[in-house]
Amino acid sequence: MTPIRPPDTALTDWRQAALRFEAEIAKAVIGQERAIRLVTIAIFARGHVLLEGDVGVGKTTLLRAVARALGGAYERVEGTVDMMPADLITHTYLAEDGRPRIEPGPVLRRAEDLSVFFFNEINRARPQVHSLLLRLMAERSVSAFNREYRFPHLQVFADRNRVEREETFELPAAARDRFLMEIGMEAPTDPDLRRRLAFDPLFHDTDALIAGIAPDVIDQASVAGIAAAIQHGIHASPALEEYVVRLWAAIREPAQAGIALPDVAMDALVQGGASPRGVAFLIRAARVRAWLEGRDMLLPEDLRAVFAETMAHRIFLEPVYEMRRESIVPALCRAVLDTVPAP
Amino acid sequence: MRTRAIKPPRVAREIPTVVMAGVLSVCLPLPAGAQIGSVMVRSPRPFGLFVGDCFDATVEIEAADGFAPQPASLPKPGPLTYWLDLTAVSVAPGPARAGNRLWRLSLTYQTFYAALDVRRLDVPAFTVTFASEVPRATTSAVAEVPSWQISVSPLREIQPPPVADPVEYLRPESPNPRRDPALARAVAWAFASFSVAGLFALARDRAWWPFRRRAARAFAAAWRQVRRHAARRDAEAAYREALLALHRGLDRTDGRRVMGEDLAGFLARHPAYAALAQPLDRFFQASREVFFGRDPSLAQRTCPFPDLVATARRLAAAERTAKAGGRS
Repeated sequence: MTPIRPPDTALTDWRQAALRFEAEIAKAVIGQERAIRLVTIAIFARGHVLLEGDVGVGKTTLLRAVARALGGAYERVEGTVDMMPADLITHTYLAEDGRPRIEPGPVLRRAEDLSVFFFNEINRARPQVHSLLLRLMAERSVSAFNREYRFPHLQVFADRNRVEREETFELPAAARDRFLMEIGMEAPTDPDLRRRLAFDPLFHDTDALIAGIAPDVIDQASVAGIAAAIQHGIHASPALEEYVVRLWAAIREPAQAGIALPDVAMDALVQGGASPRGVAFLIRAARVRAWLEGRDMLLPEDLRAVFAETMAHRIFLEPVYEMRRESIVPALCRAVLDTVPAP
Repeated sequence: MRTRAIKPPRVAREIPTVVMAGVLSVCLPLPAGAQIGSVMVRSPRPFGLFVGDCFDATVEIEAADGFAPQPASLPKPGPLTYWLDLTAVSVAPGPARAGNRLWRLSLTYQTFYAALDVRRLDVPAFTVTFASEVPRATTSAVAEVPSWQISVSPLREIQPPPVADPVEYLRPESPNPRRDPALARAVAWAFASFSVAGLFALARDRAWWPFRRRAARAFAAAWRQVRRHAARRDAEAAYREALLALHRGLDRTDGRRVMGEDLAGFLARHPAYAALAQPLDRFFQASREVFFGRDPSLAQRTCPFPDLVATARRLAAAERTAKAGGRS
């Protein structure tokens, strides 16, 4: 492993902090090392994260743990079918004197300090709410009360369960594209971990579990600076750029790259997606991963480690295949990584 | 064989007659008591001999049990007279009967008598001493083998009828025997096909043409390319190409893209290459330096070109010895 060069000692120190952050979260969320690593990457890549998984696998616990260890102001809303954008921005109520009052809502309440905005069950919210999120995520700003609010440190974490379909609204493509990662969470398969999760009283009380995590392991306000330093400090060689371009082409034109999946007409599979923003996100996340691994150069392994999470939700299939998306897209990502030569 | 044994009276030797030409049989008195019985000379053809002919004789001597001919007393091969050579002598015990044992002397003579007419000649007599085989015994007996006659004939020219062309004196050549080449040809074909099959098997094993693209010999192809690149002058580019060739070999062997982090998994899936863990690790480090690092020249320090070539060769060798049928 190539050590990081001495001028980047700040990066080395921050790496220790990041590993400590991961260790803290792993105390509360066991058997989810990969999800924790991906969330850490997302934090240092300054990207928004969508967690997806079954009910009760620990999505919310993970995000609460992250919010606690990350420090900074934290707001949380629950998605509901009757939620409107105004509910996020304003808080409307009848005051004690009987007169209606309008005050800043969850998003605005902490104003510029807001660092973690946690949107639970995002697919229960209506598209109107999603479109508000679009701007919030992409520009980290929102207009309200005749002025513009900016949230320089904002990071949106959202989760949705994939079991329920009633009264839910699929996220529009544009909103999904703004998430850096979509991380799938599964219950741990290791029998020992399962036994612990079922019988250890520690895991029965989520509040106590979260309270056990050391708060503010990372200074949220400085993450933006260190994130930029990582992006500049990790070297991407021409060969790697070439590799990324080939990956990109293979995702868009899998048939021409010689990829074949069973029961799929490869030349009529991918409708669009894999946007330039998506590929830029991929590189950002991969650089952070290289940094977490203690390297100063970007490797194909780094791209592969974050490829499915950063790219899968940006690939849009032809409607015929959209229903089988959950099996086709991971297979396509795997096939692309297995096919494109590296280096 | 016309032979006739005559039990002699105790006195004289039996004189062969013309009637019993070729048959000589003598029974001698037993001078040393009864240890020696009858002595008989048998010759399959003691007549019609020309100069230079070899002829055989067998002398059968009956001796009491426990008596054996002394090798020193046997006639020595060599010239016997000016016209007769003894060329071979051997002695062998025969069957035993009634307290006696028959001893057979096989003699081969050659006559050099250039006869001018048909005549009889005497083959000289000789004696054979028999000694008791009992330890420290001193008894011995002498068997006298009598002289016997052969008849020799002159070589006479034949007067052929005169012919115009002396070539006609030549007899036509006897035709060469017709040998059947079928067996030899079949064997030749069998060996030829065996060698071709062997060559194919070897070519398949070594991934020579036409098996160059054989899927299970990815490292053989990689090793060929690495060797070719090693001979190139532009070392920097050749090194890159050689690294790429090995990468493709690993990819093809595993059926997926093998990156540095996958090395442990690769070795677990293909235990045949477990011995190469360290060279492969150095290879991946060098590859990272060359393709993704800031300073590609560091790579040759991690894994010099000769090491790379050696790694490729060892991979190809491990590939050949890997268990057939498995993925590795």
